[in-house]
Amino acid sequence: MTAVHQAVVGAGPYDAVTEQVRAWRRLLAADGFAGTDHASHIDPRLRTGFRPLAELEPDHGDLVVIRYSAWSPALMALLDLPNPVLLVYHNITPAGYLWKHSPALAVQCAVGRIQLPAFARRARLVVADSDFNAAEMRTAGAADVRIVPILFEPERLAARGRPPAGAGPLVLVVGRIVPNKRHDRVLDAFAAYQGACAADARLLLAGEPLDPDYRRLVEGFVGACGARNVTIPGGLTQPELNAAYAEADVLLTLSEHEGFCIPLLEAFHFGVPVVASPKGAMPGIAGDAALWTDDDPAVTAELLDLAVRDPELRAELRRRGRVRLERFGAEATAAAVREAIALALD
Amino acid sequence: MTRPEQALAHARAEAARKRAAGGYTKAGAAALDDSIVSGPPSPELLSRWAVVEGDPRLLYSTRRAGGPITALKRLIVRLLRQYLADVESRQTRFNIALLAGMHELEGRIGALERAAEAGAADAGPGRPAGGPRAPARPAATGERPGGGSTDVPA
Repeated sequence: MTAVHQAVVGAGPYDAVTEQVRAWRRLLAADGFAGTDHASHIDPRLRTGFRPLAELEPDHGDLVVIRYSAWSPALMALLDLPNPVLLVYHNITPAGYLWKHSPALAVQCAVGRIQLPAFARRARLVVADSDFNAAEMRTAGAADVRIVPILFEPERLAARGRPPAGAGPLVLVVGRIVPNKRHDRVLDAFAAYQGACAADARLLLAGEPLDPDYRRLVEGFVGACGARNVTIPGGLTQPELNAAYAEADVLLTLSEHEGFCIPLLEAFHFGVPVVASPKGAMPGIAGDAALWTDDDPAVTAELLDLAVRDPELRAELRRRGRVRLERFGAEATAAAVREAIALALD
Repeated sequence: MTRPEQALAHARAEAARKRAAGGYTKAGAAALDDSIVSGPPSPELLSRWAVVEGDPRLLYSTRRAGGPITALKRLIVRLLRQYLADVESRQTRFNIALLAGMHELEGRIGALERAAEAGAADAGPGRPAGGPRAPARPAATGERPGGGSTDVPA
């Protein structure tokens, strides 16, 4: 049977694209497809599942799925293969967020955006996981873009680890600690919330930092804005993250650039109200099931207070979140993945 | 109950009320604003980036108990310091020369644009524009206006 191989630039723990590679692999294996998963950079903590991209040597007719979230020379080399290519666009962070903090990553992102049309031209089928990403692909020249959302697997969210310590309302922020997520604005808003509404509130910033230097920078913001009870544990294991969702009173995201934002769906799954900035793909994913804020930290603080203290509002947001989640049901998405694979192999 | 659709207006009103009462005194630092580059990097920023210098703080390991690996990486960089300094300075030399070339080109484009605007104004509404009057180009001897040579050393 034809094999389906997947290629990404970076694979690591706590990474959404890596998780999608694994989720597709489980689905493909269940459907009888063989294949291997490859990455240009494999985090040493990731012990199994990925091979170096240079080792990808597909047989004639095998499908190569390129998951595009940054650029690497090895990824570019895949365009020269004679095999059919399915391009899955996960979005690329604008380099402007990264030039100062991680020049190497900024280069990957800048070149990634420049080369987007070349990947779009070469692909037999282009898939984006959100309307926002699809619009970017169309701008890059892809005439026909199919939407295949993130394959959301609720069973991952069952196991429970140790819950976060302490009492008081828990404001949860989930996502890599990188500049476009604007943890500086999160801390400003949380400090305002603590000062005006809930002195005993806790803030948990769950996510892998860009690097140790950037982590120190964000830790410095905590002291500068006067916030207390802030925990920055780094990446959490899935059971630990599940326990944090189960304990959380509200999920906050003030990210300025999101290609999808899986934490929105995870919060809906756990019935946690969401306060978010209406940027990137987030309005399209969360719709009317989130409280949308502006750039004023005081306004965000008041929205956090509403989301924590108003039981009827919480119940309504939970109800809307469940409705929203149905759009991203695993079965419907799995069917869309199968259809995309079949079209790309056709 | 506040409906989700009413929440933002409610929050804005409540924030304004508390501010009027002396609350929310901090404006919010948005500390990352200055580090985010919107649009193409400025010439000043490019000049700063042109000088290549490795950051030793980036020598670390993400592995569990990666202390010895970090120490080994630092030792290797220390042992290779002459070689690395040479690589950095060669790249910096190229970057600075490239920036100087870009700066010169920008100056020439600016002069051409100014000449084109002046030409259009001279032509007036009833006369055909003569097109841009290009400024005098430097002689094709490899000499640059600033006196530096564009010749590539053999």
